[in-house]
Amino acid sequence: MQNNDQLKLALLIATLAMLIMAFFVIMFVMYYQKKKFEEEKKINEIEKTHSRRLLDTALNSEETERRRIAQDLHDDIGTMLSLTKLSLNQLSKIVGETGEKEDQIMRKTQSLVEETILHVRRITRDLVPTTLERFGLAEAIDEFIHKLEEGNNLIISFKFNAEEQELPRQGAKIELTLYRIMQELVNNAIKHANCTKIEINLDVNEQFIGLRVTDNGIGFDPDLIKVNNLAGLGLLGIESRLAIVNGTVQYSKGGNGGSIAFAQIPVIVVTDSKPEPLHPFRRERVNI
Amino acid sequence: MTEIHVSYLFRQPIVCTAVFLTIIPIVLIFFRRAYIDRVFLILLTFLLIKLVLDLTMFHYAALKINNIFFENTSVIIRYCLLSSLFYLNLETPFFKRSIIVVMLTFVLFAIWEIMEINPDFSDFHNHRGFVYSSTIECILMIFWILLYFYETIRFLKIPSLLSYPFFWVCAGMLLYYCSIVFIAPFFYHTLKWEDWIDIGFLVYIPSIFESIYLIFFSIGIWFFSAKNYAK
Repeated sequence: MQNNDQLKLALLIATLAMLIMAFFVIMFVMYYQKKKFEEEKKINEIEKTHSRRLLDTALNSEETERRRIAQDLHDDIGTMLSLTKLSLNQLSKIVGETGEKEDQIMRKTQSLVEETILHVRRITRDLVPTTLERFGLAEAIDEFIHKLEEGNNLIISFKFNAEEQELPRQGAKIELTLYRIMQELVNNAIKHANCTKIEINLDVNEQFIGLRVTDNGIGFDPDLIKVNNLAGLGLLGIESRLAIVNGTVQYSKGGNGGSIAFAQIPVIVVTDSKPEPLHPFRRERVNI
Repeated sequence: MTEIHVSYLFRQPIVCTAVFLTIIPIVLIFFRRAYIDRVFLILLTFLLIKLVLDLTMFHYAALKINNIFFENTSVIIRYCLLSSLFYLNLETPFFKRSIIVVMLTFVLFAIWEIMEINPDFSDFHNHRGFVYSSTIECILMIFWILLYFYETIRFLKIPSLLSYPFFWVCAGMLLYYCSIVFIAPFFYHTLKWEDWIDIGFLVYIPSIFESIYLIFFSIGIWFFSAKNYAK
């Protein structure tokens, strides 16, 4: 009888001990898993911030390099070409008196030099969007589409919706990001979409700036590109630029064929400091 | 249900609760359409078999006929079906293979043990419970559950454990098997007609924790969302 009681007590203690252990195991799993998830989340945040900084640095370096090349083209090659043009003008006066054939060659050379000067100016402007920094996004987009329409059988329209009459100035980084994205989207539409009409819309409100580029071309399936990892450098570049400013991009099919790209960036309050003029080019690092 | 059954129901309410509580998770599996998930389909199979065996045992118990044969059968079926839940949930291929190998070995061992402790198989009146198989079942199941918890922590695949259905199933099973792991070796001595050992209230522990694990199963199934289920 006593043995039986001892057995019952031993069994009861052992069972209770096992149950307590089971309870603590369940609690431990819940606690530890939660803790590990929080740690993982923190690590992900750090990694995200780090890659954003890397991207930012890479894009800043790219802009600095563009500016340096533009500066070299303007200061060195541009100046040299202007001097060459002056010399040719002087030489033209001397050669013009000697014969008609020499005069013709001289005029042709002058015209080639003038054309080269124009090309250098255009490349310089493409490298550094001076209008963007001086007059803002609306003017820069206007200038960009005006240049594209010249000599192309293409209709490009640009509209903006802002609460004020004029498009308010944004931070330099935001403006440059939107401008580069617009450039990329329009160039993509021209290169790949086989379109005849492009619409650029800019919507600005208190919270977001939205850039919508619509074309009437052959269009593309955004899901297919995502699934098959077919995004080229251009689309990846757009995503990288947007990642830095917490922006997003969505691609969709247009109502009458073609495609729609919609990029959205949160508005960042602009400080009062005016953007420095680009001309004359400064030999210093750009921090946008 | 006859008067004998009703009388047994009132005499053994704890044991009978565990039998009839099985209906709740079964109904919930159909209600929440959890059967679309293979894990819950196996769980449903287990619960349906358990209900049939439990009702048979309830019937024989009410008639005071030995029902240990069904208890022994339920141990084998329970281990096979519940351990296969871990086959579906564990990630590591080695563990998955181990579950299959151990399951086959366990079934063979349990059948051998039934034959060994019941030399006269036709004598149902003196049919006896397992000596080792029940304990082995508990130890193995506790091992698989702990292994699953280890993988859960390691792979971090579940964002919120409290709303994850299989976590509740595991928690219920862990509590049940931990409660009977020390009592199981005595089933051989307690579940027989003559010279049985009286362990008092402890004999109801398996039934109490059976009810608890059925409640845990029900909570887990309740958290199942057919809408968010991804094959």
